[in-house]
Amino acid sequence: MATIEKIVTPPKSTQRRLMSYRDALAASMREALEVHPHVIIMGQGVDDHKGIFGTTHNLHHEFGSDRVFDVPLAEEATTGIGIGAALNGLYPIQTHIRADFALLAMNQIVNLAAKMRYMFGGRFSVPMLIRMVVGRSWGQGAQHSQSLQSLFAHIPGLTVIMPSHPNCIIESYRHAIADYPNPVISIEHRLMYDLQFDCDLYPAKPVASPFASRLARQGDAVTIVATSIMVLEALRAAEHLKEHAGIECEVIDLHCISHPDRQMVLASLAKTGRLIVADTSWKAFGVSAEVCRWVCESTPGLLHAPAVTLGMAAASCPTAKSLEDRFYPNLGTLTDAVAQLVTGRKDHGVPLPTETSMADVYKKFKGPF
Amino acid sequence: MKNLNEAEALFYQSLRIRLVEERLIDLYPADKIQSPVHLSIGQEAVATGVCATLRPMDLLFSTYRSHAFYLAKGGDLKKMMAELYGKQAGGCGGKAGSMHLAAPEVGFMGSSAVVASSIPHAVGAALASRRLRKNQVIVTVFGDGATEEGVFHESLNFAAKHPVPVLFICENNGLAVHSYQRARQAYDVVELAKVYGLPTTSIAEGYDDLLVSQKMKTIVAQVRETSQPQFVEIKTFRYKEHVGPGEDWDAGYRHRADMARWQAHDPLIQRTDWVARFRASIMAEIDEAVAFAEAAPWPGEEALLTDVI
Repeated sequence: MATIEKIVTPPKSTQRRLMSYRDALAASMREALEVHPHVIIMGQGVDDHKGIFGTTHNLHHEFGSDRVFDVPLAEEATTGIGIGAALNGLYPIQTHIRADFALLAMNQIVNLAAKMRYMFGGRFSVPMLIRMVVGRSWGQGAQHSQSLQSLFAHIPGLTVIMPSHPNCIIESYRHAIADYPNPVISIEHRLMYDLQFDCDLYPAKPVASPFASRLARQGDAVTIVATSIMVLEALRAAEHLKEHAGIECEVIDLHCISHPDRQMVLASLAKTGRLIVADTSWKAFGVSAEVCRWVCESTPGLLHAPAVTLGMAAASCPTAKSLEDRFYPNLGTLTDAVAQLVTGRKDHGVPLPTETSMADVYKKFKGPF
Repeated sequence: MKNLNEAEALFYQSLRIRLVEERLIDLYPADKIQSPVHLSIGQEAVATGVCATLRPMDLLFSTYRSHAFYLAKGGDLKKMMAELYGKQAGGCGGKAGSMHLAAPEVGFMGSSAVVASSIPHAVGAALASRRLRKNQVIVTVFGDGATEEGVFHESLNFAAKHPVPVLFICENNGLAVHSYQRARQAYDVVELAKVYGLPTTSIAEGYDDLLVSQKMKTIVAQVRETSQPQFVEIKTFRYKEHVGPGEDWDAGYRHRADMARWQAHDPLIQRTDWVARFRASIMAEIDEAVAFAEAAPWPGEEALLTDVI
């Protein structure tokens, strides 16, 4: 069975660099402050002893508390203050230690930040980065676990990314802060913070744009379009299927949810003819629905079999572990879905991985966090 | 018009705003302005008095009832009229209409149609002004209803705690749509602002642009010098309905006698000599702006998807 170490740890013979998701975030925050004097970081707890899970830790000492500062528990005003600061020459980076809390700022994000460029005929732009962290496992429950990418990506004017790898973080944040004149919402996944990644995991060929979708693995049997931590699950499933059934999966990390590389997906489908969408959120009206929409609208004939989607169960997230393990898709359900789709049979005979909880594999911590 | 003293210049600006909006009333039945208008008729002296004390580099954030502030801050009348007509030559290319006027070239930072939503923008702009040493005073203008929103509290708290050079101006006409302030608020708005430690001022004579201007001069200078926030309430009176070109005295929720008491002080009604003196010059400017808007082209199809990202 594929282990997480096989996916994210490089072969010993290479000199590739190991970096954790957390370290990539911390490095991005530091670089932003070093390179751009107009960057400020504002959020609840950015200057406390935990520093947004270690990603802003001690930066206020180094760069000053006028650039890295705590804010009152006032998500709407704080977001509006970021917008106003951006309008008058600063680049604000804002943090929400749970994406759920950003719902309190929806008025500013949806009615103002997203619309100011268009509504005022291009007279204003609102360059800012809003970091939102998705929680999962150890009883995060209904209000600390939501993965809200489709809510934001639905709104014209917002750019929504879901980094799945330190490379994505460093390239995308650098691009957003240095070159991008619009609000960017980055949805980070807490469960990946402690993982060590091989930073040359992706093909050496440079990506078209830091926000572009990425071809994470090449294969010919099925196309798995994945987001965030589901990219890692797809890669693990792919290794398992190669080992046990000789099935080669192509894995596309969608990355920019709001502006995905549709051609990359369609080109892959032209090769595989089979589509699985593995998203971190609910399926209805979400990324799964959206990917299926544009495949159906453009070239439905590419599909040799009905598309398959994986996401959270259509309920709020339960706290009990026995329920939570069933709430999220896992390595087993994803592997089973691929095997069924590729063989066209429910009794495909491919042995499934036995683990049921992603958190048991990924977690290098014990709560609370 | 040249060679006006301070009082005359203020009056001229207030009268100009009123005559522009009265022209909008005349134009409305033709259906050429297909944008909801929230008229400032009765409230002009607030905008004139406040903006006369600001520098072009000072930024002002306003609401959907913003024609008066747009003009008083120096926004171009032709571009405003074209914007209301939905024409490409409008200040925002026709995408904004009446409720989202903007003129960043004169520090008029765009108005929002969601009550209270631009208050924190002013606080953030003031934060940037302080950090980047721009020496700006940042003004946010909002109605009495906006003080009921949570973001008002959040913004005052942040502004006071940091502190930043922002001037909160409550343009208090006593009404939120059709609902009286006393029916909505369990607090006195000025007393509320004091809770945050802000210096406060209340100006009852919101019809008097000269008096408003004189009081604001001191306050604006203090905000600039100290980089500390202040709160000002200016009482005023809305002569027209909440939205639209008409009056709604027949709706039964308010009384003409209240308006008559206010109008007895309104210089734009009482100073008939100055109205007679300035009217022709202003009407010529308005005629030119309307002709400009009428003749301007519509935005083309290519504009539909530009400036989204």
